[in-house]
Amino acid sequence: MTSQEIYSALAPIVEQVLQIPKFDETTSMYTAPMWDSLKHVQLLSAIEKKFDIEISADEAFKLTSAERLVRYLQGAIDKGTRS
Amino acid sequence: MITTAWPLLPYQISAKPADLLYTNFRHLLHAKMQEAPDREFMIFPETDRRYTYREFYDLTITASEWLRPRTRAFGTISIIFRNTPEFLSIFFGAVAHGINVVPINPDLALQEIRFIAENSDSEAVFYDAELKHKLAPLQTEMPAMKFHPLADVADMPKVDVVAVEAALPDVPPTTPAAIIYTSGTTGFPKGVILSHMNFIIDGMGMAEWFQFSPATRSLCILPMFHNNGLVVSLTTTLYRGGSIVIIDPKASLRSFWALVDRYQCTHTSVMPSILAAILALGFEGRPGRLQAIICGGQLLPLSLAEKFEAKFGIPIFEGFGSTEATSYSCFNRFPADKRKLGSVGTVLPISDMQVVDENDVEVPDGTEGEICIRGANVAIGYHKLPELQEMKFRGGWYHSGDYGLRDSNGDYYFRSRKDDLIVKGGEKIYPAEIENVLSQHPNVAESAVIGIDDPILGQEICAFARLKDNSANSEADLLAYCAKSLARFKQPKRIVITNRLGDMPELPKGPTKKILHRLLRQYYEKRLANSEDMETLKWVLGSQG
Repeated sequence: MTSQEIYSALAPIVEQVLQIPKFDETTSMYTAPMWDSLKHVQLLSAIEKKFDIEISADEAFKLTSAERLVRYLQGAIDKGTRS
Repeated sequence: MITTAWPLLPYQISAKPADLLYTNFRHLLHAKMQEAPDREFMIFPETDRRYTYREFYDLTITASEWLRPRTRAFGTISIIFRNTPEFLSIFFGAVAHGINVVPINPDLALQEIRFIAENSDSEAVFYDAELKHKLAPLQTEMPAMKFHPLADVADMPKVDVVAVEAALPDVPPTTPAAIIYTSGTTGFPKGVILSHMNFIIDGMGMAEWFQFSPATRSLCILPMFHNNGLVVSLTTTLYRGGSIVIIDPKASLRSFWALVDRYQCTHTSVMPSILAAILALGFEGRPGRLQAIICGGQLLPLSLAEKFEAKFGIPIFEGFGSTEATSYSCFNRFPADKRKLGSVGTVLPISDMQVVDENDVEVPDGTEGEICIRGANVAIGYHKLPELQEMKFRGGWYHSGDYGLRDSNGDYYFRSRKDDLIVKGGEKIYPAEIENVLSQHPNVAESAVIGIDDPILGQEICAFARLKDNSANSEADLLAYCAKSLARFKQPKRIVITNRLGDMPELPKGPTKKILHRLLRQYYEKRLANSEDMETLKWVLGSQG
């Protein structure tokens, strides 16, 4: 998947979980006040289901922005970690 | 040299004055750097940045030089950062100039940030460059305020450390180091002024209590813009030359055990809501070298502590304190077998505590009253609030507003607060802050806000609003209105429009027409709680399925 395709696939999930009007490359824990600690847990769970991957606890704390999420997902998909 | 060698305020003098080995933050950091320059000091897992004591000391000197043309020695600045090296280098760099630093929560609404920056008399605002878009409207509204973005400490020009530090002023220990803003009963946040001495003495008290050493590795998952992060994680560990793993609080929950394990952390400081969430979400993990969990900021239910300890085998040490006493003044006894569970422990050697009646007379052990604190950890006072200062810092003691008792063994028990303070996940929020916002809505005639039980956060916020005649606003309208002016954590979970309640169309009032929050709490518990009290837990657990 290209990064644009990942953005497109992520957008509805992030927008629904965080209850934000628009997910784009500027979205982060900083710019979206709704993105709190419990929502972070819920968001990662929803992403795992959508992409059929398992996000390790060693990575979960780094996924704090759109850019980081997309980069991580691209890497995970490229490495064939989909199960 | 003992603390009384400096001019102390009456409520900063305890029966046993403590030894103040380091007079200010730079002195403390410099001493620890000289002891072990190559020892690891700070680790930031989110960005994989690590600093030894020498590297971090040099960084703070670099930051102090970067700040010099942008600030004034012994002035005041606001800083808006997450838990990053940028926050800490600016903090240490500024206090090295005797500058009073006002850390601001990046999640606050713009008008809340503006209030704090203006109320504190800040001369400049330093902020994470990632916040540029958010803060842009403030820069337009506040043309006289200087705003300085900082993306990366590595962007600061390198300096001759020896030459720069030689030009730094001698900062006396009683100099203000920070103004920490907390919720205020008047509806506006109040600034608590803490000196270098306050931080160092409180940090020393806890470091000695828990027998910290250079081998101590703290996991900091609480925000540095609050005193808990700055004192319990940072100053205590620094005081004994240990190391700190620092992470963004909002990103840490799911990774708590992984961080403990990977970085071999020995101590951490949490709010009870974090322990509740870890249990409720079923996060498993290996405690590794974790020896103690320091816990406070809100009531720790005994059942939660027992369940957590039974599952993970790590002792929880509950404490009691307040921002006005820098952080903690009292802790469960150490080691774990000396604790009295259900108690908030006994007073640290750095301060004195007593329980008094309504006439400020100390009551016998076992009798409930207001808990008071004095000692070198007690703040200079409130910023520009002389009446509140006089009321809370009177008779040589800080009067906490927390009610409890002491038993015959000297262990304290917290019981309640006399006012309506809400403690949500450790964040303290006075109803007046939210009521002030709701009262500005054109269709709200009156409102009242209460704390309601929440299975994870301890308390949530519920507002009651009576609309002006014929107003058709919905609960969602009022929630959206609050979201414009209040940080996310202060926004009510629920707003009840009383006009639409058959049995309580008006807010209950006493003879003086004052709204009776107590009756609202009773009403909520009887009529509304059943449908609400487990909602958060179900919602979060549902996300795991």
